[in-house]
Amino acid sequence: MARAGKTRNPLVIAATALAVVAAGAAGWGGWQRYDAAHDDAASYAQARDDALAAGEQAVQNMNTLDHRTLEKGLDSWEESTTGDLHRQLVDGRDAFAKQIVAAKTVSTAKVLSGAVTELDERAGRAGVMVALRVTVTAPKGDPAVKESRMLGTLTRTSEGWKLSALGQAPVGSTAG
Amino acid sequence: MSTTRHLVNRRRRLATSPSRAAVAPVSDEETAAETTEETTEETTAPPGLREPETVPEQGQEPEPESDGTTPPQRRLRSRLPVLLCALTVLLGAFATWAFTSAASLRDEPARQNTALTDIARTSEVKGRIGEAVGAVFSYDYASPARSDRAAKTHLTGRAVQQHKDMLAEVRAQAPQQKLVLTTTVTASGVEYLDGDRARLLIFADQSNTRTGKDEETTFAAAMFAVDAVRRGDTWRIAAIDTFTR
Repeated sequence: MARAGKTRNPLVIAATALAVVAAGAAGWGGWQRYDAAHDDAASYAQARDDALAAGEQAVQNMNTLDHRTLEKGLDSWEESTTGDLHRQLVDGRDAFAKQIVAAKTVSTAKVLSGAVTELDERAGRAGVMVALRVTVTAPKGDPAVKESRMLGTLTRTSEGWKLSALGQAPVGSTAG
Repeated sequence: MSTTRHLVNRRRRLATSPSRAAVAPVSDEETAAETTEETTEETTAPPGLREPETVPEQGQEPEPESDGTTPPQRRLRSRLPVLLCALTVLLGAFATWAFTSAASLRDEPARQNTALTDIARTSEVKGRIGEAVGAVFSYDYASPARSDRAAKTHLTGRAVQQHKDMLAEVRAQAPQQKLVLTTTVTASGVEYLDGDRARLLIFADQSNTRTGKDEETTFAAAMFAVDAVRRGDTWRIAAIDTFTR
């Protein structure tokens, strides 16, 4: 009985010490994990990346159109946009479709690079700039390749970020 | 070894076995008793002597009420290390998960990139690189030295040679055509920013003025990306990506 009492004691002490150390580590780790998960900068960074991905995809969609799959292409234009830009596309759809059918062109676009220039997470607005290479193939002649400097405005909707304005960066306006 | 104790034991023994004591010679009996007494004394002595030591030791234990340890308490006491070990394992497992999870969250690519999230750095690199692009892609036939100085100040690494190649034609033609090339950044965005490294997308306008016989200005739209590195307290262009196929 005496021997058992003597050996159990350090064991209990050691086990208690280990448990206390483990509890401390668990507490610290839990705090670290909470801190990492509730980082404002991280959610802002995520919104930036989401906006850029959506913006690049939308700009690419807006520069891609095949006269053979015209309806599908124009649907994708409308899906990529919101607000005024969306209304303009819906209003001008029929007239534009006629032009493309007549011209029989196929446009494909490749995003070379893109960046978010501004982001207001609370208002749900973002500005993007996209460097684009567009290839337009007409029935006759070689495909025409041009590079486009696109500036877009994105608005956050219930279905994610969508383009509310899109245009080419103007040339020569600021130089001189 | 106390002699009094020996005597007491011997007397007790002699009293309990009078017949043997009578038959056997006294001297023999005495030595036999002496040896048995010694051995028994030694085997029984340690617990008897330790008895008082164990009492305070038991008192130090978590349950001090153990006067005579009852079975449930003894069971609890033997289980305590096991419970503590289990607790340690669980807490340790949680801690391991929490640390690795926190680390993986922090290592997400979105967080590594501090473009826009670090407002000060983002505007700093945009401002410096905008100035640098304007300086190194501008050229005045009247003061070519200024262009060299700008290149030395704002370029580093691979960008030095790239810039030299890009401006080679302008340099060759400039004196004859009295060429003035002016580059102005119209839009720039930080694609990536991590500490001392950044990548920017640049839209720039280039006006090319020939001030020879008849003055003529042409505008050109340029778009390219630059890799920037921070050296000391300023940003320099390290590479120029013109998206060539």
